[in-house]
Parts: sequence; structure tokens; C-alpha cells
Amino acid sequence: MRRPTLTALVVIIGLLLLADTLVVNAALSQLAGVAVDAAILVAAGAALAGVAALGVRRVQDLWRQRGDPIGAVFVIAGMAAMLAAGLRPGSAGTTDPAVQWLVAALLVPIGATLFGLLFVTTLGAARRALATRTREGILLVAGALVTTVLLLPLSGSAGAGLADAATWSLAFPIGAVFRGLLIGIALLSAVYAARVLLGIRAADE
Amino acid sequence: MPSPAEVFGRFVRFVGELLGSSSLRFEIGPTLVVLGVLLVLLQLVARPISRWVTSDTAGLAGVARAMALAAESGTDAVVSLGGAGITRATDALGRLQTLAALPILGHVARAAARSGIPLRVLTNDPIAGVMAAATIEAAHASTETPERHGRSRIVMVGEGRSTIAALAMTTRARPAAAFAVGSLREEALLHLDGLRGGAGSIATASAEAAQAPSLLLSGGAALIGPEPFQAIADLRTDVEERTMVMAANRLIVLAIALILVGSALALAGVVDLAAFLAGTGRG
Repeated sequence: MRRPTLTALVVIIGLLLLADTLVVNAALSQLAGVAVDAAILVAAGAALAGVAALGVRRVQDLWRQRGDPIGAVFVIAGMAAMLAAGLRPGSAGTTDPAVQWLVAALLVPIGATLFGLLFVTTLGAARRALATRTREGILLVAGALVTTVLLLPLSGSAGAGLADAATWSLAFPIGAVFRGLLIGIALLSAVYAARVLLGIRAADE
Repeated sequence: MPSPAEVFGRFVRFVGELLGSSSLRFEIGPTLVVLGVLLVLLQLVARPISRWVTSDTAGLAGVARAMALAAESGTDAVVSLGGAGITRATDALGRLQTLAALPILGHVARAAARSGIPLRVLTNDPIAGVMAAATIEAAHASTETPERHGRSRIVMVGEGRSTIAALAMTTRARPAAAFAVGSLREEALLHLDGLRGGAGSIATASAEAAQAPSLLLSGGAALIGPEPFQAIADLRTDVEERTMVMAANRLIVLAIALILVGSALALAGVVDLAAFLAGTGRG
């Protein structure tokens, strides 16, 4: 059962923010600013609580010898290292060289390594799509092959022809499909955002 | 002590001063357009239970079967809320996709609650985790299965899109059904490959246009583009609404065909269909 107080609060804050978007008024802007600042503070508190809960959970996993002990050790060690680097006496916080080094030397390369797997994963996904003979998969792989041919770095008239075809395919069929997708996404996301702001939901949500 | 009339008069003067010190942020035209989209489109077209399509693209209506299979195999089901979250999202589209994922989570949670299947919800955002927990609790309350609530859990994977993708790739779990609903960006294929590898079935939904190929290549059912925003409404409507949508779709196709044929005939000089219909044709 929906709680009318919470729904009323959602609708009031939603109307306040919508009105601030359309109307220039100092008092209204201040009220909207207070609502937004309150949301930011709640979000920051929740973020801290979430991180703390993750750390506590991993410590409990180690203490009770359950789950993945190696993963738990890595999580706790990583959190401890970052906290020590950023909160030790004399540290400059997020701009401290130690924190910057941890991010640049560990976090970024590990993330890059993960995304380096995208190439292999994409090939595997294409192979599976062809093996399962799904219509969408076959069309996607065929389109990718055609695009690969069009982007071949050939010289002469053949290369110029392929380049023109690539430009045309990007501007018309591919552009048309993406334009349609983006228009649909824009419309539905605007409607959904308005529903959220005005507290409009289905009966049993 | 002021009389009620004086209080009302002061209130009216206050409202008047407030309005007098305000001005429109945009011109009147764009302001009316924004209000029109919000009020007219919302009320007349996009009611929360309006049905848009006649097919169940992501197989969400058949989620009960997936839960029955999970019950037979004794495994759980996993729902990933994507990599954007609510508080950590850097743009509104990512945030909206996470919000749109929650009703779908509710639909899956109700089916899981009826079948006694524990749910594992993956998220990298604390607020999204809290909202997911509330959604699961509401699902158990609506299906009158509160005793099964404790078996489901929310897994806070940490910060970052790559973190949730890495967890999906490295986990040893073998859920009977996997659902990835929300904002999936550069990590989409890794995330979905990881979920798909261990799960009996997978359903994905994301409004990221650039990642539509990743969702389609991942196998299983997929909701791309604007479909995630309308999916939950499509699940809740009755047969009459479905019939109305089918009729409307046929009328739209007929209108488009008429326009195309009429344009071709007019270009060929055979007949000016518009003038004919208006009664001033060559006929």
C-alpha cells in the first residue's frame, strides 16, 4: 500500500524542482537549492554507509571463514591503503601524491586490463550469435563484416569508393537507426522523469 | 488578532508579490512546450499502465517459468541493476535507467517470492541497494511470503562500472536466471558475458543506444532503446488494452502505406491523391 505522506512529499518536491526549472524567482531557487543540497547530503551519507557496510561484511567473511577469503583480503587491504593514504596526518586528501599514485598505478591499469578483454569478448559474442543463428545476431555480425570491408585502407578508386560508401552508410542507415533510438529514448526518459518527479506509479509498485 | 479575511488577504498579497518578482526562465513558447509534454503526454498517452507493444520482447511475462526451473535446480536468480546507480550516476539518463530497473526487479521479485527462490541483487550504489531492498520487501509483502524474505540479499560490489563487470565475470555462482537491467556502458559486454556464462537464462535491458549491439549479441531476451522504460507497463495491462494497441498499430501502418503510395502516385503524375480526397482532383 502506498504511503500518502511519502507520495505527497515526492509530489511537492517534484513540483518545486519543475517550477524552478521554468520560473526565475529568488525564493523558489533557494527552496529548490535546499532540496537539492539535502538530497546530495543524503546520497553522500548513503555512499559512506555503503562502503562501510562492504568493509564490515568482508571482515565478517574473514572472521567466520566463509565466502571468498582472498577477495575479502584484497578488498580490506585496498580500502585500508586508500584510507591510510588519504587520511594520514599531513595528507592532502584526494590530491595527495600517495592517493594519486594508488589511482594511477593500480586502479587505472587494472581497469584498462579489464576493458582490454572487450576485444576477445566481442569476438566470442559474435561467434555465439552466429552459432545460435539468431536473426539479430546474424544481422549484427553481417553488418560488422560489411563495415570492416568499407573501412579497408585501400588506395585508388576502389579505396575512394569504399570511403564514400562508408560515409553514406554512417550518415543514412546507421544514422537513421541511431536517430530513431535516441529520439525514442529522449521521449520515454522525459516521460519517466516526469512520472518520478510527480510520484506517478502503477497501483502496486 | 487578524481575522480570517485579513489572513487570506495577506496570503493573496504574498502570492502576488511572489508572482510579481518572478519571470519565466525560457520564452513562453518553450515553456508551454515543456508543460505540454509533461501534462498532456503524461495524462493522455503515457499512463503508467498504458500498453505500447503487443509482444513480450524480453520474456518478462514468462519469468515464472524461469523461477520454476530455479526451484527445481535449487539455485537462485541474480538481478544486476547496471553500473550507473542513483547517487554515483554522472548523468540523468543513467539514473533514470536505474529507477526504471526497479519495477522490473519488483516483477522478478514477486515471481521469485511465489516460487521460494532467493534473489541476489548486484549494485554498485548504496541508494540503489536500499531501494532494491525495499522493492524486494514489498514483493514479499504483496505475495504474502514474508518468511522467505531473508533468503534474498543485496550485494554491494563496490565503486565503479568495471567492478560490477569484474564480479560478474569472476563469480562461481550458477543462477538459474540472470537479469541485467539498467545503465550498461563500456562494460556491457563483459558484464553480460559474465552473467550469461553461469546462468540458465539471461534477460537484459538498457537504454544506452551505443550498447544496443552488446545486448543483442549477449544472447537471450533484450530490451533496447526506450523499451526498458515501457516494459513494466506492458506487463500489467489486460486483454482489451492489448487489442487496442494492435488496432492502433494497424491503423498507423495503413496510414503510412497510404502516405507512401499517394506520394509515389503523385510523383509519377498518375493521380494527386490529396486533391482527390479533398474533392478537387482530375477525376
